[in-house]
Amino acid sequence: MGALTRERDVREAYAAHSGELYGFAVRSLGDAGLAEEAVQETFLRAWKAGDRFDPEIGSLRTWLFAILRNVVIDLGRARAARPRVAEGGVEPSVEPLEQALLAWQVEEAMRRIGEDHRRVLLETHFRARPYSEVAEELGVPEGTIKSRVYYGLRALRVALEEMGYED
Amino acid sequence: MRTEDHRDWKLSLGAYALGDLPADERAAVAAHLEGCEECRAELCSLEGVAALLPLADPDRIEGPAVRPPADLGARIEAQIAAESAREGRVRRRRRFRLGVGGAVAAAAVAAVLAIAILPLGGGESSPAQQVKFASLPNGVSIDATLEPHAFGTEIEMYVSGVRSGTLCRVFLRDAQGRTYSAGSFRYRWGADSHAQLSSALDLSQAKVVGVHAGNRTFTAPVDQATALIGGADFDAT
Ligand SMILES: [Zn+2]
Repeated sequence: MGALTRERDVREAYAAHSGELYGFAVRSLGDAGLAEEAVQETFLRAWKAGDRFDPEIGSLRTWLFAILRNVVIDLGRARAARPRVAEGGVEPSVEPLEQALLAWQVEEAMRRIGEDHRRVLLETHFRARPYSEVAEELGVPEGTIKSRVYYGLRALRVALEEMGYED
Repeated sequence: MRTEDHRDWKLSLGAYALGDLPADERAAVAAHLEGCEECRAELCSLEGVAALLPLADPDRIEGPAVRPPADLGARIEAQIAAESAREGRVRRRRRFRLGVGGAVAAAAVAAVLAIAILPLGGGESSPAQQVKFASLPNGVSIDATLEPHAFGTEIEMYVSGVRSGTLCRVFLRDAQGRTYSAGSFRYRWGADSHAQLSSALDLSQAKVVGVHAGNRTFTAPVDQATALIGGADFDAT
């Protein structure tokens, strides 16, 4: 228990997770300055509530992302409230944020897989280019493109699982 | 079926899961899947990932790596060190007050702490009290400590989870429902969000402490009974 109550623990947690937390904060807030604030507030809250973190229940990473999620919601509210009062006073929905987190995780997983696999998935699937065209561009047989798509998807699954994904 | 055939089919499953196979190949893979349990299981594990791909934005994947500024870690550490030092101070003060106010039970502690109490110029008969804000919305947390003084009541308040820039107006209310302002502060992200406030109402007369935070109001009862025995160390939350 109390895995984040000492300042040294915070330093270790920061070293291990700040990149991802910041990446997601930028992705969901669309602003580097706000993302910095969000990450700073996240570690501060984590440290203040450090004795409530129980490694038996979940990973530190998951816990930090849960805090960041709340911080991002708060920051989003603050921003939404500034220019005008929301019509009907509806609270911003949580759904787009969950989606943003998922989207960011997929993008991050894509960055983590090998360059060959990423390239082929980007060209054939995201850019919808024919396998033959991509094969010619890369100077490999068409069958190689197909197998790279297959191994790329498998690698993507592993990368997502490392981030806590399960289906 | 020959093993190498099966392997070939399997390598098509990525394109199949993504819906990127031409119609004729697609039909052939589907026919193989009918009779091959292993390929069906493999397809199943690929389909979940394939379904997530449309969420991703290819430009973001290829864009420059997003990294936090090099000094962000140091800034966070500095802020935590400052908070830590300040909290240490508050906790020590509260322990000392337990020594003063908690007469019998804390006699031994008081003896140990006697030297430390003196510089704080104790002498107050009722100790600081931490109040409890119940049923706060998810994500919002408010802590307040009330301390009696000759001028009235000192209130130390910590707020988090409201939006940055929110004006927080703090007040005390007496038994007749009269409100005594204790001043205001603005909650800022990342900044030290503990505010020191004071009200003219004597702590012994206070029934409620509250804060208007933006358009919401949160209150907590002041317990006159525990005002006299409270002030215990509340490190445990
Ligand atoms: Zn098969």
